[in-house]
Amino acid sequence: MSFWYPATEAPALSNVSFAVAGGEVVALVGGVGAGASTALLVAADLAPRVTGGQIEGIVSRTERSGIVLPTPWTQSSGMAFTVWDEVAFGPANLGWPAQEIARQVDHALERLDIAALAERDPITLSGGELQRTIIAGVLAMDPGLLLLDEPTAELDPAGARAVWRLVRELAREGKAVLVATSDLDALPDLADRVVWLEGGAVRASGAPQLLADDAVCAAGLGTTVAGVWRAARLEPPYPLTVAEAVRRWR
Amino acid sequence: MSVRLLALIPVAVATSLALSAAVDAVALPLFLDTTGTILATALAGPAVGIATGVLTSAVNSLRNPTFWPFVVVQIVVALYAWLAARAGLFRNLKTALPAGFGLGVIAAVTSTPISYLVFGCTTTGGIALTTALGKALGLPPLGACFFGSFVSDFGDKAVTFALVTSVLHALPRRTAARFPLALRAIGTA
Amino acid sequence: MRAAHPFTQLAVAATLPALAWTLPAPAAGIATAALALGLTATRGLRRGLWPALLTAAPFWLFLFLLHDARTTLAIGLRITTMVASFVWLAAALVPARLVEAMVARGWSVSAAYLIAATLSAVPTLRARAQRIVEAQRCRGLSPRGSLRNRMRALRALAMPLLLSALHDVDERALALATRGLVPGARRTPLRAPADPVLERLARWGLVLVCVGALVWRLV
Repeated sequence: MSFWYPATEAPALSNVSFAVAGGEVVALVGGVGAGASTALLVAADLAPRVTGGQIEGIVSRTERSGIVLPTPWTQSSGMAFTVWDEVAFGPANLGWPAQEIARQVDHALERLDIAALAERDPITLSGGELQRTIIAGVLAMDPGLLLLDEPTAELDPAGARAVWRLVRELAREGKAVLVATSDLDALPDLADRVVWLEGGAVRASGAPQLLADDAVCAAGLGTTVAGVWRAARLEPPYPLTVAEAVRRWR
Repeated sequence: MSVRLLALIPVAVATSLALSAAVDAVALPLFLDTTGTILATALAGPAVGIATGVLTSAVNSLRNPTFWPFVVVQIVVALYAWLAARAGLFRNLKTALPAGFGLGVIAAVTSTPISYLVFGCTTTGGIALTTALGKALGLPPLGACFFGSFVSDFGDKAVTFALVTSVLHALPRRTAARFPLALRAIGTA
Repeated sequence: MRAAHPFTQLAVAATLPALAWTLPAPAAGIATAALALGLTATRGLRRGLWPALLTAAPFWLFLFLLHDARTTLAIGLRITTMVASFVWLAAALVPARLVEAMVARGWSVSAAYLIAATLSAVPTLRARAQRIVEAQRCRGLSPRGSLRNRMRALRALAMPLLLSALHDVDERALALATRGLVPGARRTPLRAPADPVLERLARWGLVLVCVGALVWRLV
């Protein structure tokens, strides 16, 4: 499909086409303005429904989706005075019975390791704690398709690793996950497929091996190891991970 | 009401109240407490504006209860701003400033009876003093009361209109286009 | 002592000033002002009674300067009632409980959201405004200077605040939409405040008293 934001001439996305199935993790990579965030909004049925603008083409969804946006503090509902209520915000809006809500919320709090924060006021949380709260809030709605836009931006490396582990677990449970991230080194273990967006169009897509591709590294979107290998002017093909580089070196 | 408009109202109310920090920092005798109301109306119409105005009064009243009777003024401001937006008066300062002065007069006219009936013209120290001055000069009480409200409202509303005009023009087209009335208000619909 | 239902608190805070204005002064004023001040006293001296008296005092002074004794008493008592009722309400009402009360009664989520989100947005934007002021102070902003300079400075303070606030609206709309907020829909109450029958009857009673007072006054 192609998508234009309101009152703009150039499309934010042109002829972008890809699919995500249950149990799959697809990663979108690209520079600033490449359209990864926009693609997620379209997949979440928020563009053009809430953002305005025009869309051409077909988007077919079979599951309810939930999206986690990059800046945690604007995603805070404003209606919850404790973390528990914040996570319960989504399920309550869906009109689920109270017991079901409690079950989902407690489960989500546990999975994001924030059960200890349940009674805190969301205003007092740190960026990382709030980001995990928001992710828990979306997870508690039990979406079939999970969309994540830079979910680890506010987290330290340990927190980020925990989130990526959780994403793989969710995929194993059958959820479809579409993630836009600049944490490229996590992708070989995380993603089943990588889609490279540039200027609103798909430049390439394939297995994570794509991140060791010369053109991708030239654009600054390869894994760190591949980038270093390339910068040192060593022989292609570039290694994708540290382990691979070590093997090649020996 | 769409989700976007629902999200706009609390933010608009909060800006009206937060601007007092800016006003204090430059030590100007302004309130700017209708900024959110006028901005919300110019973006999204009278219903949103009135809701913003009512909530602004309500939150203000929690801190200072004497604001509550003036909720009527906020509603009138919203309606005036709606007419101004429909006429595209936010298209530049040459049209916005006179409109703001006009609102100053109307706001003073609306708040005077409230000041008189509810507070006996003692709404603020300033109004009480100008009323006393007016009485000493032989003005009828309602006139003296009006004078006090007018002095503070006149400049305040003009500055508010100018500020809202600047903001509307500074919005990127793609953001403004998402609000129903914004483009018409700045005359580019 | 268990807190009253938020609607009851609102009803009381609305009834006292209404009666103060509808029923004949100064008797009505004395009664309602006494009741209102009594309520503020239940909130303690620091949070209740003292702020109420402090806010009401200037009015008495100005009224005394402008009007005769009878008018001063009448208007002064009314203002005191209103001030004290609101001060009590501000101290006694817990916003979270009010929001949950609205949801539990089946009011649309829009109304509940507006109240809750406004109350939480105010401190956030105030803090942002303060930060902008401090940043500008580092760049030489001062309250001295010509009117023109100060107006320019005001613009430099207000514009970032307003523009960033509007940008926030976009993001908030997206976040609310994805978390299932549908304007006009109902949502599951999470912790509805207790609403005993006695309180409901009391609220209706207050409404009747107000209506009755109005009718009596007009007739």
